[in-house]
Formats: sequence, structure tokens, C-alpha cells
Amino acid sequence: MSDRPARAVKLNVLNEPKESYTGGPSSLCPGCGHDQISNVIITAAWENGIEPHRIAKMSGIGCSSKTPAYYLGQSHGFNTVHGRMPSVTTGAYAINKELLYLGVSGDGDSASIGIGQLIHAIRRNMDMVYIVENNGVYGLTKGQYSATADVGSKKKKGPANETQPIDLCALAINLGCTFVARSFSGSKKQLTSILKAAMSHKGFALIDVISPCVTFNNNDESMRSYGYVKENEITLHMADYIPHFNPMVEIEVPEGHYRDITLHDGSTIRLETISDEHDPSNAVAALTALHEAEAGKKHVTGLLYFDATKPSLAEDLGLVDQALVDVSDEALRPDRASLDALNAEFLA
Amino acid sequence: MDSIINDFTINIATANGTGSQSANLILLQSLFDMGVPVSGKNLFPSNISGLPTWYIVRLSDKGYQAPGDRTHIQVLVNPATWEDDLAALEPGSVVIWNSDTKKKTVDREDIVSYPVPMSSLARKINPKIAKLVTNIIYVGVLAELLGIDQACLESAVAKQFKGKATAVELNITALGLGRDYCKEHLTKSDPYAVEPREVTTPQFFIEGNEAAALGSHYGGVQLLAWYPITPSSSLAEGIISYIPRLRTDDEGNANVAVIQAEDELAAAGMVLGAGWAGGRGMTATSGPGISLMQEFIGLAYFAEIPSVFWDVVRVGPSTGLPTRTQQSDISMLYEGSHGDTQHIVLIPGTVEECFEYGWRAFDYAEQFQTPVFGMSDLDLGMNRWACSGFTYPDQPMDRGKVVREQEVFDAFENFGRYLDVDGDGIPYRTLPGSGMDPILYRGTGHNPQGVYSEKPEDYYNLMQRLRTKIDNARDQLPAPVLREEEECEVGIIFLGSMENSIQEIDDLLEETGLKVSQCRVRALPFHSEVEDFIRRHEVSIVLEINRDGQLYGILRRELPNDLVTKVHSVAYSDGMPPRARIYAERIQATLKEMSQ
Repeated sequence: MSDRPARAVKLNVLNEPKESYTGGPSSLCPGCGHDQISNVIITAAWENGIEPHRIAKMSGIGCSSKTPAYYLGQSHGFNTVHGRMPSVTTGAYAINKELLYLGVSGDGDSASIGIGQLIHAIRRNMDMVYIVENNGVYGLTKGQYSATADVGSKKKKGPANETQPIDLCALAINLGCTFVARSFSGSKKQLTSILKAAMSHKGFALIDVISPCVTFNNNDESMRSYGYVKENEITLHMADYIPHFNPMVEIEVPEGHYRDITLHDGSTIRLETISDEHDPSNAVAALTALHEAEAGKKHVTGLLYFDATKPSLAEDLGLVDQALVDVSDEALRPDRASLDALNAEFLA
Repeated sequence: MDSIINDFTINIATANGTGSQSANLILLQSLFDMGVPVSGKNLFPSNISGLPTWYIVRLSDKGYQAPGDRTHIQVLVNPATWEDDLAALEPGSVVIWNSDTKKKTVDREDIVSYPVPMSSLARKINPKIAKLVTNIIYVGVLAELLGIDQACLESAVAKQFKGKATAVELNITALGLGRDYCKEHLTKSDPYAVEPREVTTPQFFIEGNEAAALGSHYGGVQLLAWYPITPSSSLAEGIISYIPRLRTDDEGNANVAVIQAEDELAAAGMVLGAGWAGGRGMTATSGPGISLMQEFIGLAYFAEIPSVFWDVVRVGPSTGLPTRTQQSDISMLYEGSHGDTQHIVLIPGTVEECFEYGWRAFDYAEQFQTPVFGMSDLDLGMNRWACSGFTYPDQPMDRGKVVREQEVFDAFENFGRYLDVDGDGIPYRTLPGSGMDPILYRGTGHNPQGVYSEKPEDYYNLMQRLRTKIDNARDQLPAPVLREEEECEVGIIFLGSMENSIQEIDDLLEETGLKVSQCRVRALPFHSEVEDFIRRHEVSIVLEINRDGQLYGILRRELPNDLVTKVHSVAYSDGMPPRARIYAERIQATLKEMSQ
């Protein structure tokens, strides 16, 4: 009894305090959007009651890819090479499909050097959460434009960007990605709900998070600054996440329309309509919303597209139920009789 | 005229995509089944249909498997190479030619000419597939001329078209047409003949790639991630083809995953992901693929991720000659990726070793927590070689220093992912999902706990430990195969598929009065026995199929100074499988140069 902490500590469904989900101190610039996303990851994993050691933190190279050191200190992770996190994750997944793969990446990783790997991970419906911490610039190399920089946007130094950006959400929808969302690192509530829902999704969940770079791209002329995004965000809906293990959690039932989407583990994401109802099962509507926002120099956020019907990579691989890492050595190596039989057949 | 029995070379010139490969393999198999020591080399183009292909069949009672110095019997079916093939023949050679070939004839007086209307004969069977049948006609003609046993031919046909009764019947009919034409219209006027030989050890034919594929299964491969590339695709496809038989349960579920990646970079990434997660991952590729994988190879070395890469080497640089053989990736494999690196390379020289290193590669990778390469080549990988059977692994799988239980973990006084607890340079690891020692693996500099560090002592100590770790591996890897002469004058150091030419090279040198010892290197870093071999011999020559003497370069750098001057290089490559005489002459020239 004497071990009991003096103050009341909030515990999650696993009786774990939030501290079980935190990481080391961040070395990013103070105010960086990425740190806010790290906090959302900590909250979402804790509130979702996922055992920390069942999560695998995956990343590539860049400011965003350093962040796995700053959250989920009890989870294994792999800070891989630039743009190649999806392939490493895919290989790990083939060996241990029981882990929740949480990938964090940047716009350099995802829209440039690693765009091919992103595309093919989506194509395989690889079972993972893929967060893009998208700020439109390369931070670690001191502020060059990335391939997601908006036309007409101007970073702190140098001319405005005139090259057409790659919209990762539009790309993902066109590829048949089964969970596509956009959010903003400043919209903590929306991002938390979307991330929790992504964690409950079986298949590839892309969350493109606009995450301002306070050092190189947070000036007034930038279309990815805190100020600009706050003023020019079109929110498709408010989002609430209702976990499967506690369906009685209090959710404010909105007066207008709302739409419940059931996720693979039985959890629900409730999308509360703000204006025109967005139907996340309609890819054309999602693409239209993205194009209209781009034309109006706006950012549309929310769960853009969702499809629960496609088989994920695990089903395509045709593997035994047990994770391969748990299969015994004796089962992995065919027996002596099988080789004797092969030798005999070859000699026949 | 004295007969020449079982000691000649047949060269068959066809176009690819015409079914000639089946016909040639039937010829090879039937000779093999007669007990005749025989080898086949497929010289094929990088193309699907229509370009010239040569198939070289060498019969040799001495067991020589290199292509030989010259062609004794030329089969001419391909008009595109007709004149060149004809012109290259030495006087007295034999030509069996398709006399239905438009505007082509054989007008040399100094050779034995056997015209056969192969196309018209083929059309008699079925005009629609006459082109395919043409090839089997020449096999029938060769069978009659040389005396190939009909029963062996028929069983070879049955083997080639397993279960396809119509194809078997059609091919046997076509063989008969070839034979009958020969009997009725040709008079044998050449000395070449085949005689059956008693087989002491029963053997079968198999390609190195299939052997390595089987070996990988007996190593318990759990993930094959690959991207198609000649000449390695048949290794990956070999693995896939045996999954239903060897790795699938009664419900049809496999315990090995296969992913065809989007490129070689992704294939390498997947292999690393598998190793990181605690599984046995591998890829099969060729030089261009290894070039693309360099970044991941460095990560695997630095973050110490077990991973297996098979390189079935083809001719470089760049796209090079994609369907020809070479040993030109030695340096790239041994020192792959930027920065100071050093990798374990296993170098099979026989199909038995392809199988053995197929499973051993995983043991080494997990034991040393590092990338391990299997280095084969097109000649060994894609041609058929005699094999007397594969040997079951003689030891359980070595999964290396993995801490799987909490109490084992708790017993460590001090645990760090990169801490050298045992003094052998190999640290302990825990697996994702275990909850033990969760760390963020990284390709950046790190301390023994795996935490990012730029401290000079951390970087220095880490790099020294990695060197120690791989250096300690050398005498645990396959030792060289030594065949020594008492005199210990000249030693030949060679590797890989040169095994199939070395005895002929040795005999050619012996004909000139030079007795040489042989040392076939089977792994890098060099086993200490290689150094001992060099020390025992007055002179050693490193023989390899490339331009620059890559193995020689590595050896020179690693040998003690007093031995460096004893070692010389003979490196040669023209894309062809090694012809013994070329190498023997170059060895002689090098020795002569030294004595001057």
C-alpha cells in the first residue's frame, strides 16, 4: 500500500499511466509542429490502450523521422534510410504481423525520394499507420522547398515556389488507399480522433498532417504557416473516436447529421457534419474536395476517404495464422525425409 | 579412321524463342543418362525471341566441363549467324545443317557436311509447329550419327515434357524422323561417337540457382523479397516453386512470405525489416541490383541486422552483358556501401555448395548479425551441373545471440544492444514485440545502448568492434578447398565457378611440365588457410573471371608484407564461361614474365 503514488494518476484500460507512452526529450526547434504530433501519438496510443511493446515505430530520414525517439520509449523502432521506411516496415510486417506499425515520415521522404515506396505500400494495402509530417520544406538541410510546397507559397528565404505540388492525399485516393485523412498539427482533437481511428484500421492508413516548420516556413507568405493554415482550413467534419472496449464513452451527439464508421477492431469514428455532408466512401467527392481547396488556396482536413472492404497485405501473403517470428525452427526447416525424397526423385 | 569417343564439343546455333532449349536439354540429358561425362552451356541473348543462341555440349571422359577450345560438330539452324559459325570451324569439323534454309548452303570442302531438310521433315508432323519441331529433328540426326541410345533419348524426352503426353509423343516421332533420314540419306564420314560409361555414383543434373533455392528452404527462409533480374530470377522462382511442397501446411498456409518488390532498393529494405523483426529474410539479385542496394547494405552492417543477399553475377559494368558470366562483383560485395565496411561473402563453386550455402547463409547472418552474401554467377546458376545429391544440414539452426526470455534478460548485469559482453564483437539483441530493451535502431552513430552519439570514443569503439566481429568470422567460414602438389612451386588461388575449368587448366599446365597446387577460396574474409597456402608455395597466382583481379586486390591488401610479392594476378574475361586454354596460357605467360 505504501507503494501507491501520493497523487492520483490517470490510467488507461491497461492500467498504464501516460508516462508509459512518452519518449525522450525532443531536439527539434521549439514550437515545431512535429512535437505536437508526437504528443498526439502518445495520447492516442495511451487512450487506445495499446501495449507499448506491441507498437513498432518506423521512420525514414529528416526532422520528422527523428521524432520516434521522442515518443513511445517502450516500443522498438527503426529509423531507417531516406524514403525507404515503407519497405523496411513491409519486411518486418511479413515476419511479425502482430505488431502495430506506426510510420512517421516527412514530405521529403514521402513525396520525393521515397514516393515509389509509399505508392507500393499503398498498393499492397500494407497494414500500417503512415503519418506524413508535412511542412513543405526540407528542415535538416536548412529550408529547401519540398515537392509538397504549394504554388505561390513563399518560405522565409528565397523566391516563391512555382512548381506544382504533389498532393499525397489525392495520390493515395487514386491508388485505392483504404484510409486517407488530412489534418493539421494545430488541430489536436481532430488529429487525435483520426489517428486513433487509423490505429483501428486494418490496411494502409495515410494521415497527411500539415505541420508548420517554425524555422524556415512559418512566415506570413507561406501557405503552410500556423497563421495561414488556421485561417484557411476547411474542416470536413468534426471527428470523435469511440473505442471498441468502452462504447459508453461520452460523446456529444451533434444536432445535425453525423455518420458513424465502424473500424476493423469494432471501434467507431463518428464524423459530425459541419456543412455539406462529406461521404468518405466516395472517392470522387474526396478528390473534388481536395481540388476545390487547392484552387481556393485552402487546406481541407478530415477523413477524406475510407474503404473497409479491401484485403490487407496479410491476407494476400497466404501465411500461417501464427506470426512467422513465433514459428519454431523445427517447423521452419523441412525435415530430413523431405530432402531424401527430393534426392530420390532427382536421381530417378 | 580412328574413332573419337566421348571427347568432343557440339555447338548448336539456333535463334532463341524457337524451342531449341528443350531440344538441347534432351540431348544433354540423354548423354548424361548414358553415363557420358557431359556439360552444357547455354549462350543466350538478352531477348525473348529471334536473336542468336548457341548451346555448347562438351563430352569429356576426363570430366572437363569448360566449353573447350574448339567446335567439333556444328549444328547450323540459324541463318543469322550461318556464315560466321561456318567460317569459325577448323578443317575436319562436322556440320549438320538445315538444307531448307533459304539462300544458305555449306560450301566448304575441308569439312564433313550433313545436309538435312529439317523444316520439311518437321512440316510432315505438324506444319503449324514446324519451327519448334525443327530443333528436335537435329537431335534425332545427332543421335543416329553418334550412337545415342534410344531408350535414354526417350526417357530424356519424358523428363523434359513431364506429364504432357502429346508433347512426348510428338517429340519422339520427330526424333525418329531425324534418325530415319540419317539412315536413309547420309553416310557417316566423321570419327565422332558416343559410348556408354558405367556410372559408379548415380548423379542428376541441376542448376545452381535451383540448388541455392532448395538450400534456402532448408535454412528456413521466412521472407523472400525480390525484383526480377537475369540471371537470378530462377533462384527466386525456385524458392517459390518449392513452397507448396516444403513450406505449406494442410490448410494451404505457408510459413514463408514472398513479396515481389517494386525495385531492388525495396527488396533490400524488406530483407532488413525481416531481420530486424527477428526473421530470416533474403533476396536474390545480380550486380545491378546489388548496386541499388548499397545504402541498405551499409545500414545492415552498421545497425547489425541479419540479412542474406544472393548475387548471381553477370557481366558488368552497367547493364553489361546481361546473359553472360563473370566474377566481377567481388569487391562490391566485400566492401559494399559507403564508409568503412566489410562483409561476409560465401562463394559456392558447385551445386552442392549452392545448396549448402543456401542454408548456412542464414546461420552466419544471425550468428554475426550482419549482411551475408552468396556469390554465384550465371554459369553456375543457370547451367545444369551433375550432382550426386544434397546433404541435410548437419547442425540445428544457429539463431545467434537473441535474448527471448525475460529471466535471461534480467540476468544481464548490464545490457546494451551494442555492448560487447563476450569480447567477440557480437552483441546481444532483443526482438520488437518482446518488450525487452526497446530501442530505436538507427543508421546514425550510436553508443553501446543504441542511443545517438557523436562522441569520438563511441564512434571509434563501435567501428573497431565491427571490424573485430567480422575478422573473427574468417576461420568459422568455409575453409578453402586445397589440392596440393608435393613440390609446392606454383599455387593457383581461384574461386566459384572456375572450379569447373580448373582441372583442365591444371592438366594443360602439367602437359608443359608445370605442376600446380590448387586453392579454391570459398568465403570472404579470407580463411587463414589461404595465407598458409601462399606461405607454403614459392609463387601463387590468383585466377579470376574479371578484368581487374578483384580477389587479388583484396588479398594483396590483407596479406602481410613479406607475402605480397609472392602473389600475382591472372584475370581475364570476355563474357564466355572460362575456356581452360586461355587461362593456362596466361598463367604460363605470367610465370615467364616473372622469371625474366
